[in-house]
Formats: sequence, C-alpha cells, structure tokens
Amino acid sequence: MPTSTIRSETLKFEFQGRQFLARPGQSVAAALWAARETVLRTTAVDAAPRGFFCGMGVCFDCLVTIDGRPNCRACQIPVTDGMVVTRQQGTGTPTSGGKP
Amino acid sequence: MSTSVTETAAASSPRVVVVGAGPAGMATTIALAERGLSVTVVDQNPRPGGQIYRFPAVASITPGQPDRGGTLRQHLGEHSERITYLSEHSVVGIYPERRLGLCGPDGFRILDADQLVLAPGAYEYVPPFPGWTLPGVMTPGAAQQLVKSQGVAPGRRVLLAGTGPFLLVVALALHEMSVQVVGIVDTLRRRDAFWKLPSLLADGKLLKQGLDYVAGVRKAGIPLMTGHIVTRAEGHGRLEQVVVAPCDADWVPDHDRSRPIIADTLCVGYGFVPRLGLAQLAGCELTPTNLPGGWIPVTDSWGQTSVPGVWTAGDGAGVAGAIVAELAGQLVGLGVASSCGAIEAADAERSAEPIRERLHQLSRFRRGLDSLGSPRPGLSQLADESTVVCRCEEIRRGEVDAAISSGSTTLRSLKVATRLGMGPCQGRMCQPACARRLFDLGVNTLEDAGPPTFRPPLVPVTLGELSGLTGPDDSIPPDQVPVEPELAEGAREADTTP
Repeated sequence: MPTSTIRSETLKFEFQGRQFLARPGQSVAAALWAARETVLRTTAVDAAPRGFFCGMGVCFDCLVTIDGRPNCRACQIPVTDGMVVTRQQGTGTPTSGGKP
Repeated sequence: MSTSVTETAAASSPRVVVVGAGPAGMATTIALAERGLSVTVVDQNPRPGGQIYRFPAVASITPGQPDRGGTLRQHLGEHSERITYLSEHSVVGIYPERRLGLCGPDGFRILDADQLVLAPGAYEYVPPFPGWTLPGVMTPGAAQQLVKSQGVAPGRRVLLAGTGPFLLVVALALHEMSVQVVGIVDTLRRRDAFWKLPSLLADGKLLKQGLDYVAGVRKAGIPLMTGHIVTRAEGHGRLEQVVVAPCDADWVPDHDRSRPIIADTLCVGYGFVPRLGLAQLAGCELTPTNLPGGWIPVTDSWGQTSVPGVWTAGDGAGVAGAIVAELAGQLVGLGVASSCGAIEAADAERSAEPIRERLHQLSRFRRGLDSLGSPRPGLSQLADESTVVCRCEEIRRGEVDAAISSGSTTLRSLKVATRLGMGPCQGRMCQPACARRLFDLGVNTLEDAGPPTFRPPLVPVTLGELSGLTGPDDSIPPDQVPVEPELAEGAREADTTP
C-alpha cells in the first residue's frame, strides 16, 4: 500500500477487508492496480483469476462487488471515500454489505 | 454566421443528438453549433475526449502537449449555450423513430432525436491465445489509460505486442512515465513495409510521424522485435512470462525458435474493431470488410446511414484514426445542418469539398497501413483446444471447433450451440475473432458468418434502474459542457493544497 504523503484529498476504501488509498478521480481498478492487487474477480466455471483487460468498459472482465452490488466494472467506477469493494466470485451475489 | 440562418434553425428546432464525444462526436457537435443548431451530446465518460483524447481522471496529471483534444474541448466550451451535455450516460437501446434509451447517474431515461449521429469509436482487437485471460495481460489502450489518465504504472516489466503504430505510441507513453518496457513484438516484418511505401508516402506528414515514433523507441533503447508474434502468456495467478516466436508473412509462428521473455504485463492488440452495437440497434445496414471486426455501417458521402436521419462518423464507421474521425465528423455536421435547413445544400457542398479532398488523401495512407496490419491466418491458430475464447462464458476453442464440425457456420449458430457471446460483453471480445476463425477454416465467408448481434440493453441495467424511468417529456437539466480552462484551474488548486 502506498505510504507516501497522505494528503487531505486522498480517499480511503476497503478491498477484501483491507484499507487502500486512492486519488480523487481514480477508478477502482486503477487504485487496486497501483497497490498491485491484480485479481479483481474469479470466474464462475474455472474459478480462474481475472484482472484489468480493456480499460474502457467493453470487456466486462474487471467485475467487482461494490457496496454490496455485484457486476460493477472496476475500470469505469471512480473510488469514493469509504467504498467497500470485494473480489467477485463467479456471477456475484448481492449482499447487504457496504456503507452503513 | 448570419442571424437569419440561426433564426431559421431555431424556428424548426430539430432535436439533434450526438452519441459519443471522441474526435468525431466533438467535431460534429462543433460543426452543428457553429451553424446555429442546438445539440444534445451523450457520452459515457465524465469529460469529452473519447479514448484517444481522454481527459486525465486524476487532477494532478496534466494533459499531454500539444493536445488536439484540448483544442476541441475548448471549441465545445465556446458553444456551450447550444450544447446540452449528458456525461456519464450510456445508450442502452435505440428504438424506432430514433428514440434512445439512456442510462446515467440518475437512472434510465428516454431521449428522442430528429437527427441522430452515432460516433461510438472502436476498441482493440485481441484474438485468443493461451494465457490471454491471466491478470497482467491487457490491451495497449488499457495500459495507456492507466499511465496517462490514472497515474498508475501497469506493471514493472511491460512487453507490448501485436501490430501497428499504436504499440509504439503506448511504449513511448510508458517509457516517459519511467515504466520499464522490455520490448515491442510486431508481426510486421520490415520487408513487408517496403512494398507499401508508395501508399504510405501519400501522406508525408503521417509517415514522418510514424518514423518519429520508431526513432523515439530506438532512442529509448526499447528492443523492437519485428516479424515476431506472442504465442502464449504464462504464470500462476498472474502473468510471469510471455513466449514469443518469429512468424512468417501469414503470421504463423515458428514454435521451434520460440523463447520466453520475463514480464509482469503484456499489452497486446492487433488493431481496432468498430463499435457496431448502436448502428445495429438503429437498424443500419452493415457491410463486411477485411479489417478486424469485419463489419461497418453503410453510409452515403455525408455519413448518413441506410436509416434516414441516422448518421455515423469516426472509428465506429470504419477504423481510420483520430484525424480522419474529426474530418468525418465535420462532414456529418454539414450533412445534418443541410438536411435540417440550417445551411443551403450548395453551401454544404462547398464547405465539404476541401474536407473530402483531405479525406481522400488520407485514405490512401490508411489503405497502406490497413493492408499491412489486417489480420493474417496465423493469428486465429494461436489458441489451443483448452484456450478460453469467450472470456465471459468461458467457452473453449475445442467447444467452438466441435460446434463448427457439427455444422455451425455462422456466429448466430455458434451462439446457439455454445453460448459464445451470451455474456455481459455481448460478444464484443470473442465474436470478431470467431468470425475470422470460421473464415480461416474455410467454413464460411466473413460476410456469411454474419455480423455480431447486439440486443438492448447494450450495457447491463438493473430492473430498479429501468423502473425509475423518466419520460421523453421530462426536461433534461442543461449540464455545463466540462471545458478545459475551468478544469485546468481546478487541477492547479488541488495541486497546491498542502
């Protein structure tokens, strides 16, 4: 995790129960990539790891669960402060997890 | 612009909608606004620019100089009183009479258009090869976006592979950001380029630009492996190494001479596929080509499709790059303005003449580049039986080939037989390569293999979003066009904040 100067505009978010930082405007995928978290989901059939592929919202490979909502494209969604992101397994299940 | 013309346009007030705010969409919008027409622009991104002129998502990154995208954004801003800008909106469906279904931050809404301009752009063509689903394998465009818009290095040791000048552009962008580029692998052999020189010389400026990229790559000390192809990506849970082999003119690799290259990131792309979904939902007639993606909408000399009142420009109308996209956007702008009566047909003709001349000149250069880069049969032989070809549904090459042996000869029948293309990407990733596979196996022509079949919603929408439907009569709040100067100012402020 980056530990350089934490400026007031740095955002905090959670991934797999751990705290991560992002710069305002940064996508979920980019913030995770910066922290070398490259497995964003595992697939339904092979449980194979998938990452960041097209970067433009076309391939639907970077699907994560954000604040309980599955199938969110991590490359398209900017991080917000307090966001709870989980690695999606298979087709994903909506959960009540997320922001209180 | 005379007042009378503006008034004529305002009197009939045609509802003009431009979908996509890349170079083509921006140029169309500017051309229309300059002629007094009001335009609603719909775009997926927070700011205009498209993929090529993407505005940095992170404020501390300043856009590259000189940035043509910045100039276009500024022109858009100058016409902001005529432009309703719907950022972060996706078109999920197009219904008869040019009725659009949009999904945005406030949910689902309907938007009606008298004149509809489609400028959806293109995405990268990546046919399947063993290991291509591993995290760490991405498109060159994705890597470029990470460094230039997000301020993130895609990896520590990056290999670029595929074909075309875009690989060089991305390599240089990565190098500038101090990312180690371990090489560029291009299927093109130097001697092939020689034969295309006459057509490439048709545009000296662009040829020089290309040669400058090559010089830049050499100066950066990045190894350029021409006449080579990536045959597989390997790693446990993520990319660790890439296997590269020399290839012949048909891009068939010589596996006996293959060698591994250690890399944690592979950026691979073999050209671009036009985004056809919108044109297809609008009912536009498509025509097959020999380029990646295979199909483009049929248009007249202005960019009007087979459906009256539906126009298209830019890479979505046939991949030709940003310069051509901008010119084609200007042409569509003239065509739409003329059919709305905002300008005389003779004026439109006169203004179109120099644009068409330049486009003609550029098309010779493009044909040279296209014939160099158009996919060769070796590319569709890289996947083995167990390689996933449909990334969404995890359909393997073996399953597809079995379906072909049992009589599937079209994309449609492959879809029914295997679920190929039935995932959330709707076949954008797998179908162009599968059509090519049918062709290379001699099973079908590209034409009869059929175009991909898109269905609404083009992007997944929840029932909740659909139920929050707002009707066409609800007024759309006029968003400000997010122009450059304001943002640049904001960026500076953010930077000086202690």
